[in-house]
Amino acid sequence: MNEKKLEEMKQDYEHIKIPKELRQRVEAGILQAKGEESANMKEIKNENNENKKSTIAVYIGRIVSAAAAALLLITVMANSGAGIAHAMSKIPVIGTIAEIVTFRHYESSKNNMDADIKIPEVSVKNEDGTVNEETTQKINKSIQEYTDAIIAQYEADVAAAGESEGHMNVSLDYSVITDDERLFSIRFDELLVMASGTQMVKIYHIDKQSGEIIGLSGLFKDGTDFITPISENIKQQMKAQMAADESVSYFLDSDVPEWDFQAISADTTFYVNENGKLVIVFDEYEVAPGYMGSVEFEIPTEVVQDFVQEGFLR
Amino acid sequence: MQTDIIQKKVEETVLSSYEAMYRLAYTYARNEADALDIVQESVYKAIKHASFVKEETYIKTWLWRIVINTALDFIRKNKKEIATDTFYEGGQEDSYPDFDTLNALNTLTEKEKTVVVLRFFEEQKLHEIAEILDENTNTVKTILYRSLKKLKLILQPEAAEGAQRYE
Repeated sequence: MNEKKLEEMKQDYEHIKIPKELRQRVEAGILQAKGEESANMKEIKNENNENKKSTIAVYIGRIVSAAAAALLLITVMANSGAGIAHAMSKIPVIGTIAEIVTFRHYESSKNNMDADIKIPEVSVKNEDGTVNEETTQKINKSIQEYTDAIIAQYEADVAAAGESEGHMNVSLDYSVITDDERLFSIRFDELLVMASGTQMVKIYHIDKQSGEIIGLSGLFKDGTDFITPISENIKQQMKAQMAADESVSYFLDSDVPEWDFQAISADTTFYVNENGKLVIVFDEYEVAPGYMGSVEFEIPTEVVQDFVQEGFLR
Repeated sequence: MQTDIIQKKVEETVLSSYEAMYRLAYTYARNEADALDIVQESVYKAIKHASFVKEETYIKTWLWRIVINTALDFIRKNKKEIATDTFYEGGQEDSYPDFDTLNALNTLTEKEKTVVVLRFFEEQKLHEIAEILDENTNTVKTILYRSLKKLKLILQPEAAEGAQRYE
């Protein structure tokens, strides 16, 4: 009976309708790749010559030459309507405008090990259009340290693998997840596939009112305890989810108490979602077994409304 | 191998297996438009980075890997939208009468789904799946059993023997 079920699934799978458009899309993909290739060929060849003695076989880090093209294609103009945002907002001061572009794209592949890392550059501007040098430098330095560490780790792993086949795939991509009256947030998603996959998330936030980079504590009034109520709420959510679905599992009241989730930290990863709610993010393995992946909890605003600063949450 | 030769081979493999690529993408995306996007992007990546393939025998494995990674990327970026699509799936015109059986796959994690699809539907060998997922064969076997158990396909011992046959 059960085998029959598997057979039925297989038949359904085979009957997944193939759209007429598919062939065209495949051909479009091929053309797209070939078109870019001939354009880049010269450049790649030059780089290969320069790097002949390097152990990294292919390094297509088109740093400045392609930056102009990338600017046209990938520029995300944050807060393009600052005036409109101002009018709609109750907050009197709207200062900062942040812009983000892909500054550098690190791609490498050797012996079955691949890296694909996009590195953005952020430009934070004051309301009068001048660049806020301090925050701009700070955030770019921090982003660079973060991405350099990932690249260095990858290069070390490639070197360690030597001539043998490695098995590793690391990718890093970013996106602007919040850009409202008060907050500008960039999210980095790192996916490391090595033996098994690991997902890591890093998010940077800029408080538009102060122009400063902020962590979770920056959302709240000074000196208030936001850790306890948020942590308690997360524990309640964990319990409720585990009770509702037996395939869900968190490190809570487990056999190994020292692994159990106790409390969030003051600089824990978070973002504000499109509904204006605070979302706490945990990396894979942080609060749950690996198969749960990276997990997120939306915190009801009532939990923190007594001490959250105005303008961040709804 | 010469870049242009391997690129030609990758292109040939793509042209002979794009329907399978689409089905695999579809099991992740669960809708036609996204599955098409995933295939196009995967084809683009495969041809563009064809020079990374060192041996012809790896092309197929490598292609599967690209489709899987592209699909997972896609899902991560569109998590919210996919959740909404699922909710309305029953009402869509292009849903299938027997689609329920494939919906069962959604009870699995992405990795479990991949193993089940590649093993049973695409008839890849365990060691090939291990290659695609960068896992060792025993881990793949464990994932396979866990998935079948989750799908409640091997509750009885005789059915377990049936599953063994596929190894």
